[in-house]
Amino acid sequence: MMSFKQAKYDEPFIKDLQSRTTFETVSEDYDEGIVPSVMLNKEPKVPVIAEYDVVRHFTRLSQMNYSVDTGFYPLGSCTMKFNPKYADKIASMPFFSEMHPLRPEWSVQGTLQVMFELQEYLREISDMDEVSLQPLAGAQGELTGVLLIRKYFELRKELSTRREIVVPDSAHGTNPASAAMGGFNVVEIPSNDKGTVDLDALRYAVTDKTAAFMITNPNTLGIFDPNISEIAEIVHSKGALLYYDGANLNAILGITSPGLMGFDVVHFNLHKTFATPHGGGGPGAAPVAVNRKLADLLPGPIVRKGESGYYLDRSNNKLGNIASFYGSFGVLLRAWSYIKRNGSDGLKMNSYRAVLNANYLAKKISNDVRISHPGLKKHEVVASSEESGKRALDIAKFIIDAGMHAPTIYFPLIVKEALMIEPTETVTKKDLDDFADLIHEAVTSTQEELHKHPVNTASGRLDEIKATRDLILKR
Amino acid sequence: MLDYDQSMLDYLGIKDFEGLFSDISPKIRKKKLNLDPHCSECKLLQEATMLSESNRFDEYSNFLGCGVYDRIIPSSVDSIVSRSEFLTAYTPYQAEISQGMLQSLFEYQSIISDLMGMDAANSSMYDGPTALGEAARMAVRINDRKTILIPDNIYRNKRNILINYCAGLDVRFKEYSFDMKTGMLDLEDLSGKIDGDVSAVIVENPNSYGVIDENVLRVKNVIGDSLLISYVDPISLGVLKPPGDYGSDIAVAEGQQLGIHQNFGGPYLGIFTYRKELARKSPGRLIGETTDTTGRRGYVMTLQTREQHIRREKATSNICTNQALMGVAALAYLATVGPSGLRKIALATIHQSAKLRQIVSGNKKVQSNVFSGTSFSDVPLLIQSDEEKLNQTLRNNKIFGGVKLDRIIQNRYDRLKNAFFFSTTEKTEETDLMKLKHALEAV
Repeated sequence: MMSFKQAKYDEPFIKDLQSRTTFETVSEDYDEGIVPSVMLNKEPKVPVIAEYDVVRHFTRLSQMNYSVDTGFYPLGSCTMKFNPKYADKIASMPFFSEMHPLRPEWSVQGTLQVMFELQEYLREISDMDEVSLQPLAGAQGELTGVLLIRKYFELRKELSTRREIVVPDSAHGTNPASAAMGGFNVVEIPSNDKGTVDLDALRYAVTDKTAAFMITNPNTLGIFDPNISEIAEIVHSKGALLYYDGANLNAILGITSPGLMGFDVVHFNLHKTFATPHGGGGPGAAPVAVNRKLADLLPGPIVRKGESGYYLDRSNNKLGNIASFYGSFGVLLRAWSYIKRNGSDGLKMNSYRAVLNANYLAKKISNDVRISHPGLKKHEVVASSEESGKRALDIAKFIIDAGMHAPTIYFPLIVKEALMIEPTETVTKKDLDDFADLIHEAVTSTQEELHKHPVNTASGRLDEIKATRDLILKR
Repeated sequence: MLDYDQSMLDYLGIKDFEGLFSDISPKIRKKKLNLDPHCSECKLLQEATMLSESNRFDEYSNFLGCGVYDRIIPSSVDSIVSRSEFLTAYTPYQAEISQGMLQSLFEYQSIISDLMGMDAANSSMYDGPTALGEAARMAVRINDRKTILIPDNIYRNKRNILINYCAGLDVRFKEYSFDMKTGMLDLEDLSGKIDGDVSAVIVENPNSYGVIDENVLRVKNVIGDSLLISYVDPISLGVLKPPGDYGSDIAVAEGQQLGIHQNFGGPYLGIFTYRKELARKSPGRLIGETTDTTGRRGYVMTLQTREQHIRREKATSNICTNQALMGVAALAYLATVGPSGLRKIALATIHQSAKLRQIVSGNKKVQSNVFSGTSFSDVPLLIQSDEEKLNQTLRNNKIFGGVKLDRIIQNRYDRLKNAFFFSTTEKTEETDLMKLKHALEAV
């Protein structure tokens, strides 16, 4: 492996770069007399910095930040795959990036065509009937889905009785949070010893009070639930709806789909499956697809193709809107590029390789950490370091110190000392082998040795308790 | 297949790729993915270029605004947010290897709360309107009351988002009205609607008529212990008093104008600020300052126990992925333009709006002084024309603009039935204004 040493600057806090403003915005100095005097503020509180110092400041900061372009980033459930550079290029084309959202339709036909085609691609990939591109990130896609479910039962006059949304104990935290935000009570059911949905528990939990069951398949343990069709039947037999959390879709493109599995509502995470960059925490985009039952409820508008071109259709959209315009077009455009570039063959091959990598890595590390629920994995694998006597946190710090990103740790909650590892398709066998070696080294190190890490990163171990106690949120 | 695909499969004792999917029943296998096969990068770029060029309308003057604006973006901002160390990272879960993003977001929180005159800011929400939705939810969480007072002219899409964000709460929205002379909020009407059940009052500045609303300064005095939520235009803070100065408990904004491209609707930036003691009730990611084992200053995500990945259904919000990169853009923008630049941009905008009103004032078919209040960026004009005819005229004259007021506002005033918005920024030029004058003469 390469030796690793992250840049480590004593980078000043931005306000301490105080010098002079060099960027010229507007040359004319207009009279402030035009501002109503009661509202006038003499000067906004913004720092005074030379443009070149701003650039240097952020360049140095960026060098203290690990990214997908830096190296292996197997953060479980986040699908940190390579973000293709052609998508950056396309997203920065000015006649895409400079379009005002209220431009008349005739003047943005290129943009509308991209959106229309993306809707069609997502319909085909998911086998659902209608797509809205509006939701802005995974959690908002979920909220949209929950509100669609709410609206569906409201129109059927069943909302007063259907007050519950069921989730498995392995669910992403956003699932129960979104259900609660939409006004439902959350009922959690335990997983069985195979790590999948316990059908008896599901039968017991789903009643005529249930609005929906929210799951992801493959689930957060990387396991494809073999009983998915039966699950759909149980849920539908009680008149409830089935919600697909698309966070883990990367494993199954072209192989199966939420529609074939019997789901009613689906959200996609374009920043995961379709390789749009995660931006250090965002932006994302999370279109929502539904089957016919819910098609006229979707937030909108929806893009349609008419005789005289593409247009924005606002005729249904019973949910109104969940964001101001038509979604994060800049992100949608990158996903469109990715799908076009990869095509039917490429998308399927990406799923193949993502799954191959997860299974290969699972076997490689299985002597050092316990693989939770052995068997075929899909996009990711969850291991526990419990038996090795090493804490997941310490292993994570050891890994980042060697110049790889750590897996997601302590999630899912049902696995103790969990390491949730998602390699994706955009890594080589050598990356996987190196990572497995690191895991081996970590679990065979002494506790004392592990505690010393990290030392090669921009910062040593940070005191989170102090951060909470002092609560310094600004300077 | 790559050369080592087979050796990896062999290692697993699995014959081929399909063998990796033996856990998926043939009954639910997809027969065919009905998309075109892959295309070369070169061909993709050609097609994308062609599509983007079809959006190209040179020589058009732009008067579109109403929440999203075409403003000067320093090239430095694009350069900074294109740094792939920022662009291709995710949420800084491993703080020690992510100090660059963490410090940037801590600085964003600092500079944005300063700009808004508030104590604290989170590290971003999706956009302005969804930040407003979260603000309403936060207010109800704080005082457990059931009414939110909103302006009766609030944009339709903002209203819908508020309703959707609060659908799960037992909350109702009541509206207060506007003074048709000044275009400012009607303080008397608002105060008459205050009772012990009002959780929060939402005010906007500039308001949805585009008017700099001087009455926001007096709202805090008439709403008792209900919370004040302000929605502001961050560029306007170059010259206007920030929401902290008039007693806002929570203040939110759309940050698109701070160095973020219009992008046909997103990604944008939800600015979310509040009084510090409310932090524990607040939604969204927060970055806090701390030290490492050697005593050096460093940054971590903090108060995570409010968040969905820990608190699940009891979380203050479901938000996970946010707009971190857009936060960095806004920070880089503010640092680059500086206080003098921001002030000039805001003043130039107000001046161009005033000029716009003045330049069309001789036109008998156009009434430009719809309100006596000062316009910030969005100028409503009453035009004696139907929408279709106006649109055609504007198109013939190569102008984008003229958004009909009742398309974006649920309008209840007859007098505003024929109102159309024309918006200015610091990029609006004399020639644009002359073109508009000329075009409206042909209505």
